[in-house]
Amino acid sequence: MNMRSRTRGVLGIVALGSAVALTLAGCARGGGGGDGGDGGEAAASPGITDETITLGITTPLSGATAGPGTCTVAGITAYFGAANADGGVEFGDGKTRTVEITALDDQYDPQKAKSNFDQLKDSVFAMTAGLGTPTNRAYREAAIADEVPQVLVMTGDPIFSDQQESPWQLGFVPIYQNEGEAFGKLLAESGQEHKVAILSQNDDYGEGYVEGFLEGIDGADNVEVVKQLTYEATDTSVDAQLTELAATGADVIFNAMSITPLAIASLQKAQQLNWFPSWFLPSNTSSPGAIVEPGGGAAFPGVYTVAFAQSAAAPNFGESPEGKAFLEELAEYADYPEVPAFPHCVWSYQVGATLEQAFGQMTEPTRENFMEALRSIDDYVAPFMLEGSTVNTTEDGLPAVSTVVVQKFNGKGYSSVEDFG
Amino acid sequence: MAAVTGLWERTWVRWVVAALVVVLLVVLPLILPELANQRLARIGVFAVAVLGLNVVMGYTGQVSLGQIFFVGVGAYATAWAVREEWNIVLVFLLSILVPGILGLVIALAAARLGGLAIAMVTIALPIIGVPLAKRLSDVTGGSQGLSARFSDAPEWSGLYDDQWQLYLVILIGGIVFLLTRNLVHGKYGRAFAIVKANEAVASSMGISPYRYKVLAFTVAAVIGGVSGFLYMVVVQYTSPETMSFGHSITLLASMVIGGAASIIGSLIGGAYYVLVPEITNAIDPSLTALLQGALLLLVLFLLPGGIVSLPRVIRRALHRSRRDAGPQGPTASSPTRPAQGRPAAEGTTHTERQGQA
Repeated sequence: MNMRSRTRGVLGIVALGSAVALTLAGCARGGGGGDGGDGGEAAASPGITDETITLGITTPLSGATAGPGTCTVAGITAYFGAANADGGVEFGDGKTRTVEITALDDQYDPQKAKSNFDQLKDSVFAMTAGLGTPTNRAYREAAIADEVPQVLVMTGDPIFSDQQESPWQLGFVPIYQNEGEAFGKLLAESGQEHKVAILSQNDDYGEGYVEGFLEGIDGADNVEVVKQLTYEATDTSVDAQLTELAATGADVIFNAMSITPLAIASLQKAQQLNWFPSWFLPSNTSSPGAIVEPGGGAAFPGVYTVAFAQSAAAPNFGESPEGKAFLEELAEYADYPEVPAFPHCVWSYQVGATLEQAFGQMTEPTRENFMEALRSIDDYVAPFMLEGSTVNTTEDGLPAVSTVVVQKFNGKGYSSVEDFG
Repeated sequence: MAAVTGLWERTWVRWVVAALVVVLLVVLPLILPELANQRLARIGVFAVAVLGLNVVMGYTGQVSLGQIFFVGVGAYATAWAVREEWNIVLVFLLSILVPGILGLVIALAAARLGGLAIAMVTIALPIIGVPLAKRLSDVTGGSQGLSARFSDAPEWSGLYDDQWQLYLVILIGGIVFLLTRNLVHGKYGRAFAIVKANEAVASSMGISPYRYKVLAFTVAAVIGGVSGFLYMVVVQYTSPETMSFGHSITLLASMVIGGAASIIGSLIGGAYYVLVPEITNAIDPSLTALLQGALLLLVLFLLPGGIVSLPRVIRRALHRSRRDAGPQGPTASSPTRPAQGRPAAEGTTHTERQGQA
């Protein structure tokens, strides 16, 4: 009995306490305000003052993708480090600001990427340069809801370049389809008869490449796809597929593969089978030092890949004055003293340059105005762009860089080619 | 200290404390800033996941390295059902049913094995899970993952999204914690403890280790599913990386650091899982993995029983210093083996419990 009444007393306290709390809380957040963006048009967005602008990055800095991830921070940090040392970046509204970068590690974990975004969104002006499809996707919708720009991110996922679906986003690197299509077109334009074997990864990566390639050769009657096989990203060997493809006698293999050891093993297996087709490799598995040389790529009539930027690992890169300056800036401002083995350092540097273009056209310190400025860059040749590639942000559905150049392995690195053969 | 313990024994004190906690949980989301709410919600998500792991590992003693798989399955089930526009209650049921059934089927096979063999089987789960999620792209969205924004605050509530989400986590997570607490403190909990301590003894008392292992594993999978549902409430996105093997190990580390076989320890484990990456990021974003490893070792060296054992360690240290300072001086045996004092005491309670069972 006694117990019962006590319980009721406790419940009463709880109820009372809750009621008081609820009334108190009614005004708790309203005063602080500013959950979203519609505060007032001319007021500056978060992360920008008259002297500084802060950019946020969430990218893998530890774990399996730490190598390229670190590069995505290093490149842009080097670019703006040098710009800040020169006095800052001039904005379209006449003010000169220094650019600060806050980078957080997400370990390629979507949940952590979202958490990093939540932490950064009120203190940074825009999110940029982060690497990874799942990690960028994880906060894409939140960025739209909070009206935070998430721009020039490193993912080949087309959704980031679709303005309908992603009004506050823009991808930087070409989508997989762009790469496949460029090679397909080159083959179609060669004028010679080609039999093509396709070996692709059984996921959206491989499918994207193949889709682009088939589009590129669409309508060309000199190119015939004789066999199309897939493998799983978890497979440890593709010997069976290669044996089957070799039997077709194809003179070109389109190898949409993202696994480094498998790409090396494929090159070697084909040689063992005495099959020497021209070889296509995607941009991220075509490293001369890490893949083509160990695989004995020189034995083939040609190993092709696509690119839009110069490779910092190429032998003559460090000799050019720009290349030398780039490597020095990396070491000085981004604490990255080695010659980067990943292309992402150069890409991220180009992101910095592209952002500077957008800043130059910003007339108001707001995120809306920034997005407008960013979407108006046409035919900009960023540092280290290959001839034929440009930054073009005006076309809906395409990332900032969508034109790629086909390159051929020349024994040491790659050089651009106009025709096949 | 004794006064505090004495006070705690009284029922009304417990009620008042419980009421205070409830009031705090109701009030806090309303007054905390957005980021704190999101952080708390995330802690809730992973506290539930750690709790599930605790049921099978902490309480029943079966090493499971596959907990993240069930979290991932729960998240995918939620995302899929939301996309199919199911009623939210059905979504929730699906998110616990699918992992539960999977857990049951796997446990039926795995629990036949003893000791580390179970660990080997459970390692396979996240390793299979990631490529499977990529492969079944019609259901899972492939490596691009699935978004599901279903947990925005409804108009009538007048709340911000983060407040609404935190309330959902507190409500659902709170129920799961209460139910689990009752489970492990009741008849099943005693059976789990005996299976953990000695399977032969369990069998001799008519407790089938196999049945209870299967039960614990299934319960862990169901709780993992709840955690997956809450993951979608808070993160609103899932991809194959959600269930990558590394996260399973981090969950395990969180459980050990929080405190194995402890309800409060699960909460601390969740906090560890969420806060440590943030803290290490604040120190130096390029050294996060290293710092996390160092922290893990530090806690394991200083507090082998997990953070939850901290009050006990402090109490013992106080005791010792008081006794050292006392007039009669230390007795010969007790200060030299303080670490063994507690487990021994727990051992006797086990035997008492066994007697009751």
